[in-house]
Amino acid sequence: MVVLRAEMCPGLDEDLVKDLRAADIKTVEDLVSSDTEEVAQRCSVSYKALFAIRRVLLAQHTAFPVSGADLYEELLSSTAILSSGSPSLDKLLDSGFYTGEITELSGGPGSGKSQVCFGVAVHISLHLKQSVIFIDTTGGLTAKRLLQMLQTETSNREEQMEALQRIHVFQLFDVFSLLDCLYSLRAGRLQQASVGGGGGSVKAVIVDSVSAVISPLLGAKHNEGMSLMIQVAGVLKTMAKDFNVAAVVTNHVTRGDGGEVQPGLGASWSHIPRTRVLMEKLDRTSVVSHSSLRSATLIKSSRQVTHSPARHGAQSGSCQRSEHKARLQTSVGSERPAECRLQHKHLDSAEPKRFRQVSLLCSTCGER
Amino acid sequence: MRPVSSLSLSPSVKVRLVSAGFRFTSDLRGLKPLQLSKEASLSQPEALEVLQTVRRVVGGDEGGGGASASLTALELLQKEEEELRSIVTFSSQLDAALGGGLPVGKTIEICGAPGVGKTQLCLQLAVDVQVPSCFGGVGGQMVYIDTEGSFLLQRVVDIATAGVRHCSLLAEDDEQRVAMETFTVETILSNMFLVRCHDYVELLAELHLLPGFLSAHPRVRLLVIDSVAFVFRRLFDDLSQRTRLLNDLAQQLIAMATRHKMAVVITNQMTTRLRGGQSQLVPALGESWGHAPAIRLLLHWVGPQRMAAIFKSPAHMDSTIQYQITSEGFRDANQCEQPQSKRPRRHTNQPAASQRVTSC
Repeated sequence: MVVLRAEMCPGLDEDLVKDLRAADIKTVEDLVSSDTEEVAQRCSVSYKALFAIRRVLLAQHTAFPVSGADLYEELLSSTAILSSGSPSLDKLLDSGFYTGEITELSGGPGSGKSQVCFGVAVHISLHLKQSVIFIDTTGGLTAKRLLQMLQTETSNREEQMEALQRIHVFQLFDVFSLLDCLYSLRAGRLQQASVGGGGGSVKAVIVDSVSAVISPLLGAKHNEGMSLMIQVAGVLKTMAKDFNVAAVVTNHVTRGDGGEVQPGLGASWSHIPRTRVLMEKLDRTSVVSHSSLRSATLIKSSRQVTHSPARHGAQSGSCQRSEHKARLQTSVGSERPAECRLQHKHLDSAEPKRFRQVSLLCSTCGER
Repeated sequence: MRPVSSLSLSPSVKVRLVSAGFRFTSDLRGLKPLQLSKEASLSQPEALEVLQTVRRVVGGDEGGGGASASLTALELLQKEEEELRSIVTFSSQLDAALGGGLPVGKTIEICGAPGVGKTQLCLQLAVDVQVPSCFGGVGGQMVYIDTEGSFLLQRVVDIATAGVRHCSLLAEDDEQRVAMETFTVETILSNMFLVRCHDYVELLAELHLLPGFLSAHPRVRLLVIDSVAFVFRRLFDDLSQRTRLLNDLAQQLIAMATRHKMAVVITNQMTTRLRGGQSQLVPALGESWGHAPAIRLLLHWVGPQRMAAIFKSPAHMDSTIQYQITSEGFRDANQCEQPQSKRPRRHTNQPAASQRVTSC
């Protein structure tokens, strides 16, 4: 809550603030929660005046109810669904990344999280002609890779350069600079970025990865790390809502007690993203896999049917893989440019519809 | 409205600020240090620090300059092309797989079983980074942090001699001949800074002091840590503390690599993981460490042949190449000893991979 200051509302003058302070009432919260009659007596002000001040302060700090119909109207006019550039991933996410929400991509090293982020950034800047803010905390972003992705989409050099100009990159490596950056974006630099970036408003804020800066803080004796994590979450959430941008964050994975893969950062973080996607390499038999195929599984969503990551066991693997292979071979056969494999790393990263079908199959034939 | 608790201040100061009623930075605006130190029972230097931090943050919000400047991807691309040139290795296949060599400004992990050539590659890179720019190198200095005691000076002299000989054969124009005068074994050795760390405390301390050293030596383009696993795999009862220290170390290395425009090469050992009754050789230090390096390179044996595989990189294709360790250092495997049928598993990817090699 806010500290009481003399200029906050009429009737609240310097002397009264001093008197209130002497009565151990420092903030608006203290004033509102204390007994007005008692305070009036102790500070020797009229009950009426204090009551009026209290009402004004409450009115200043309250939130207002909005009708559902108005909200729906606003939703229709302001919400955008940003395609990820990959039809199958879009299907998994109910047609793409929603603005005003946090979407999380989690997965182990090399599972293609960053590639999806690059893909989204490229798609938004090239096809939607809107700006993107890319916060790189792992040093994984190279502009050459973005250019490579753009080159497969368009051969027009000018378009490529324009698209690159609409991607704003921040390279930050600790949680305080991340917070500084997010707060300054929320305080107005988001619009500045839109103006400076050659047209188009900022539609997405991508943080790759959020766990890299937070996980060094977690688990220590004092719980400051937890508080900072919630700060990051809070500012991302309000920014997503207030500016109508899609927030995309990446997270690492840990293993649960049973050895199953689950997103990192613990239970309190799991409430933060509206949608969570778990990404995995399909071929997990060796460190060096020769398959560029990845799978994406929806594990939390408020719109789509999700399915728990534990359920798609080994039995569903074989049929998927053959289908994937079919996809890969057609892509190689069609003589795409040299980078088609990496390109397909992100294109192939998701086969959601089928995945959900598979999960349904699993539940009908009983889990093994 | 930015909460005070999100500022980069010590936790005890923040607790005292919040308990005195200062929850947001806006509450602190217009206060004098003396006034604040009295109201929040802070010492005067602490109060001054608080107000300076707030002014910096709030100034950043309004002024647009702020603590963190953004680049557009186009500016980043220009920077990559002009300032961040790759370190050419003496293996053309590895160069091709990495798109022109070891990228400067990134963290690269080399993992592999004992004796497969991790340290040899590190020593080779220590020489490679010094190749003058007229030969396509970066002409930089390097820092070598040795934790295993495996840095063999005699071997460095061998590799450096071979490197100098190679370049002197290539020298054609005057510029290159002039550059050759300063590219000798002696200068190569004098441009290497060796740090011997015996345990993880020494390593962490060294990394905290390194940014100062790097500012004093702006030509450093490569940092090698051989190996990070050796000091972190022993003497740790508390695994969660190890993970936390490693995560912290990783962020430090990434920040250093980006700010000082250098490549950071870390070596890692292998460990056995049991999964469903099957054992599997995986890089050590746990799965969360796997996120730390931008690029991961696995050196392994396939029969008598040494192979290097890129298995994690946000900018390169997964690919596998062959190499050999000769008396001169890390080199391409002899082409005649490399029948095509040796890579049966990759036949579907072959067209893409070979096309890539020719395009580079």
